[in-house]
Amino acid sequence: MTPAPPRHDGERSPNGLVLGDLDSLPGPRPAALLPEIPPSAAGTTTATVPTIGDKPPGLPDESLNELMSESSELPSSPEESMGAALRRREASQWVRRRLLERQLHDGASLRISALALRLGLLRYQSPHDEEDWQNRIAELQDELHSVLQELRAVSAQIYPPLLDQAGLGPALRELADQSAAEVEIIAGTDRFGPVAEGAAYFAVAECLAAQPADRRPVLRVTVERTGQYLLLTAVGVGAEQVGLMLDQAHPLGGTVNLFEGDTPDSGTITVRIPCE
Amino acid sequence: MRVALAEDGALFREGLLMLLRAAGHEIVGAVGGGDELVALLATEQADVAILDIRMPPEPDGGLTTAERLRASHPTMGLLFLSHYAETHYLMRILDIGTESIGYRLKEKVGSVDVLTDTLNRIHDGEIVIEPVLAKRLVERPRGDKKDVVASLSEREMDVLRLMAEGRSNNGIAAQLFVTPKAVEKHIANIFGKLGLHTDTSEHHRRVLAVLTYLRSQRTEV
Repeated sequence: MTPAPPRHDGERSPNGLVLGDLDSLPGPRPAALLPEIPPSAAGTTTATVPTIGDKPPGLPDESLNELMSESSELPSSPEESMGAALRRREASQWVRRRLLERQLHDGASLRISALALRLGLLRYQSPHDEEDWQNRIAELQDELHSVLQELRAVSAQIYPPLLDQAGLGPALRELADQSAAEVEIIAGTDRFGPVAEGAAYFAVAECLAAQPADRRPVLRVTVERTGQYLLLTAVGVGAEQVGLMLDQAHPLGGTVNLFEGDTPDSGTITVRIPCE
Repeated sequence: MRVALAEDGALFREGLLMLLRAAGHEIVGAVGGGDELVALLATEQADVAILDIRMPPEPDGGLTTAERLRASHPTMGLLFLSHYAETHYLMRILDIGTESIGYRLKEKVGSVDVLTDTLNRIHDGEIVIEPVLAKRLVERPRGDKKDVVASLSEREMDVLRLMAEGRSNNGIAAQLFVTPKAVEKHIANIFGKLGLHTDTSEHHRRVLAVLTYLRSQRTEV
């Protein structure tokens, strides 16, 4: 199925849902733009969906499920629902920060503390022989490598260095290599600025984190530029991924379209994010 | 060995200089960026240049500088040091050259033995690839390569991993405590299973074939 161009006018899409149609958001009350469409039209209508909690990887999907359920029914009190969604998103930002802090504490910090103790011990224990001495030093160096690997993992969750240095294509390919699911990345060398690239990267990262390892068909992600927008197309996804994409695109005034496929995981999602 | 060094982090640069001197190497110059290295090597001779990937000129001055150096000093070895072992950079490095070239994590060259072994292999014309990265490539090949790689025996996997590090037959034999003849047999089996028909007698072509195989995916722009 060929996705239709994303829409900005809140009109009905002929072959799918247009979600997060937020290009012209005037301020902090985007719920005012929610179109009044009856619930019976769900699945073939245009709707503006409130953003959902920014779910850190590994956290339960409760907020996502809650939102998806809300969006399909088109809430009777959209402003209240949007407010709740925004609050969830804000709250999850802090959850994410806390997780990173905990990862630094439980990982790298503890390893470095332990290294300090082992170095202290080394001072008071003379090595049995040259080989013993060499082995102990090698162990300490291995431990330092492990600390650095943990710090690299934390850095990658804040902003992947490869994304900054080399752009979306290389960063997404590296991400795809680490994913248990089979993923194809189609991306050129175009750069879109750190904000749009960060949003697109984490949209895909969260989408992949939610994929089962044995999923079929292959997930195909395309990155390209259309005017002043970064266009991200994910083929082979389910409707449940929409919320994850919206989380990243919505705060930047982006849009997310879902084109449902014949099976639950054969849909197409297009994400448009304003870029440099 | 005569070594030139370009690294913008003063702390790491000083540490590496101490280690290089301890290993008995001659330092022909240590500078903080790519342009300075090119200027230095216009007057000084070096056997191997050590370059940080992420240094001036930004964003990845080590790579652009290396391209210039490979053109002006084709026989000089190039060793890239980085804080990250990424396949993206490996592929860019192999675009610069497939002989006398190496890519290692900064913290992994922290001993005289490892540093000297790395420099010697590069000086001898080999490709030296960070074992952490080689292991990742072999254990997580892309897409439809997974099933084929999974069909290799445990020993063949050991040989493939060492090949992906860029090791020669003799180097692999020494690491696995087997004869070079046994290594050749394993390599023939591996190439048969992977369906590769490259001339396996040429070391760097063989390494390149293996790396390209592990990295290729069905669609890439």
